[in-house]
Amino acid sequence: MDSLLSSRALMGVSLAFHIIYATIGVGLPFMLMIAEALSLRTGDEVYHHIARRWVRPAGVLFAIGAVSGTILSFELGFLWPEFMAFSGPLIGLPFWLEGFAFFTEAVFLALYIYGEQRLSRRMLFFSTIPLTIAAAASAAFVISANAWMNTPAGFSLVNGRLADVDPLRALANPAWAHEAVHGTLAAYVATGFTAAGVYAAALLRGRITDFNRRALTLSLAIAGVCLPFMLISGDWASRFLARHEKPKLAAMEALFTTTRGAPLIIGGWPDPASGKVLYGIELPRLLSVLIHRDPDAVVEGLDAFPPHAIPDPRLVHPFFDLMVGSFFIMTAAAGWFWWLRWRRREVPVGKWPLRGILLASPCGMIALESGWFVTEFGRQPWIVQGHMRVAEGVTPNAGIGLVFVTFLAVYVALTLGLLWLLPRPTHEAGDSDWTGEDRHVNP
Amino acid sequence: MSTLENLAAAVLLFGLVMYALFGGADFGGGIWTAFASGPRAREQRENLFHAIGPVWETNHIWLIFVVVTLFTAFPKGFAALFIALLVPLVIALVGINFRGAAFAFRHFGRRAVRGVPLIARAFEISSILTPFALGMTVTATATGKITLADGRVNIEAWSWATPFTLVGGVVGMAVCAYLAPIYMTVRTRGELQDDFRTRGVIGGLALGILTAVEIPVALADAPLFAARLLTSWATPIVALAVISGTTTQLLLWQRRYAWAQVVAAGTVALTITGFCAAMYPDILIGQLSLAAAAAPRATLVAVFAALPFGAAVLVPSLLFLYWTFRGEPNPEYPPDSPED
Repeated sequence: MDSLLSSRALMGVSLAFHIIYATIGVGLPFMLMIAEALSLRTGDEVYHHIARRWVRPAGVLFAIGAVSGTILSFELGFLWPEFMAFSGPLIGLPFWLEGFAFFTEAVFLALYIYGEQRLSRRMLFFSTIPLTIAAAASAAFVISANAWMNTPAGFSLVNGRLADVDPLRALANPAWAHEAVHGTLAAYVATGFTAAGVYAAALLRGRITDFNRRALTLSLAIAGVCLPFMLISGDWASRFLARHEKPKLAAMEALFTTTRGAPLIIGGWPDPASGKVLYGIELPRLLSVLIHRDPDAVVEGLDAFPPHAIPDPRLVHPFFDLMVGSFFIMTAAAGWFWWLRWRRREVPVGKWPLRGILLASPCGMIALESGWFVTEFGRQPWIVQGHMRVAEGVTPNAGIGLVFVTFLAVYVALTLGLLWLLPRPTHEAGDSDWTGEDRHVNP
Repeated sequence: MSTLENLAAAVLLFGLVMYALFGGADFGGGIWTAFASGPRAREQRENLFHAIGPVWETNHIWLIFVVVTLFTAFPKGFAALFIALLVPLVIALVGINFRGAAFAFRHFGRRAVRGVPLIARAFEISSILTPFALGMTVTATATGKITLADGRVNIEAWSWATPFTLVGGVVGMAVCAYLAPIYMTVRTRGELQDDFRTRGVIGGLALGILTAVEIPVALADAPLFAARLLTSWATPIVALAVISGTTTQLLLWQRRYAWAQVVAAGTVALTITGFCAAMYPDILIGQLSLAAAAAPRATLVAVFAALPFGAAVLVPSLLFLYWTFRGEPNPEYPPDSPED
């Protein structure tokens, strides 16, 4: 592998790995806050126990998130030094602010995890508030840096050199708002569904306890409330793309040619050689309606842009469909659960609704990862849209292939360790820690 | 050279010192876990382990703070350093990951992880390896062997590896191994306290000897750095570091641990400050100045405008954290320890 391909592969693997832990780092604080608030408000200790049961996975996953995030901050330097020399002055500010937010998050997470015996219940709850805010803020700031790569702003180029640098405009670049909202909500959905899957599995195994029922309801409530906003913010994002990132939109929708009254293509394999989508389902005019609210509107296809400056739809369209498909699976599972819950006035513990939730439970993470693939592959060949190509940003060092193999081994080791550790009981007689078979928590 | 660049360099130095004082001590805990000995070896390990528990992730973030400050305020310096220092940085990163993961696994899975020597060894080895690699990384900027042509760093895979950086790596380990036991003396009592006192004295001797050795090595291997160290305002700082280190030894001798802890931290802060003073005004000695590496003025202004807001949130939070888990032998154990 040459340096460019190895660098892209390593950055991709590193981010794909880190995103899972970062997502839980954003989503779990929110769930902790809601659970502790419910417990204080209702005086019901079960919610507090549910929250305390998340401490162990939260601690492990947050630690992995912190160290894998460190890998990323270093990789920005040793994989993409030219990119950072160019854009550091512009995306440095959001990373700098993110540093403060993440620091604050670490402080309050430590207080929440270790403070059980040193803080009052009220203080425990209060510490989840800055925790949640700092977690969401750190997501929003990191996303600002990514949004800047998509819609760079806050500078001009004079003879190829940066001039008129305005870090605030770079921070608040056009794509930031929708990416931050969509991304942060996605973290809540993904965390909620991951947790719901754990409780659904426990209920399916016959552990029909009050604890598991309530924990399942809570997880699906948090995820369920966010789901409609995913649709709304997704629509916002696609209409933004139609104005500011047209090639990405065309690649997402596998639209090769500029079309009046463009169809929505679901599934299929885009074939650049023939300019057609094989085996896809075409819904006439729907894309024009979705994007422009007009069945006869023109949507620009990939042919509207220079061939050397467009992304490969084979890497974008399938992931886009995977993201949207995952959304509908989650919506169906959550909708079914809540309908039964409303009809029967109790938590449905039947086999099929629970199996539905189990099936939908990884979909949040799948949607999040594939959404990130869409935005990254959809920006190719640029690392800074319209200004710097990925190939121009890469390190001049040779031997990145070896570095790639090294870190791949690190990630495999960490993943195996987690898979081995997380399902393990902590109490000799107890069952899985997540599902709270035994109720005692630090007497 | 503008004031803002100097300020940014000061922030960078501050981050580096904080990482050494807090993150470094956590690595030192790992080093002394590996070298725990005597009749109370097990208690030494247990106590080190509990002291690291609540704070290591917070402490670790100082490293991210340093990296982010570097690429925001000195993007050209960041690019040059990370191209030239690929190998030690990769070693440090692998170490950071295995240390963090091994600690978290042990901590949150005591029952499950008990009797898994692989995880304990990973924790110890990476606690030794990481400060070594980071020490080499920092001292490599002082050798003058990493060179630039037309503002671009020359690619020489092993230009960072010199006798000076090898000793620098060992100094990095010594800094960590010095701080941890001295911090532990205020958290323990009785014979265990004496164990850590002895280890603190050993760490102090090691740090003193190694930094003294580094000076003749620098004269041969990093001449520009040595010249600046011995003839600029770096000299009085180094002298202060020596006085501070000697005072720490005396305080340990007299069992005045609270003071020893503060003065030991001062010794490390002065050692690092002395190093950076001799680097000044360069980020890569003789090759790339802070001024040439710095970001445009608007970026530095934005960073410093944001600093008070960030600090207003963070400083009280940090104080509350350290106050909540302050000194005194730890009464509690992690959430799922057998004792609960």
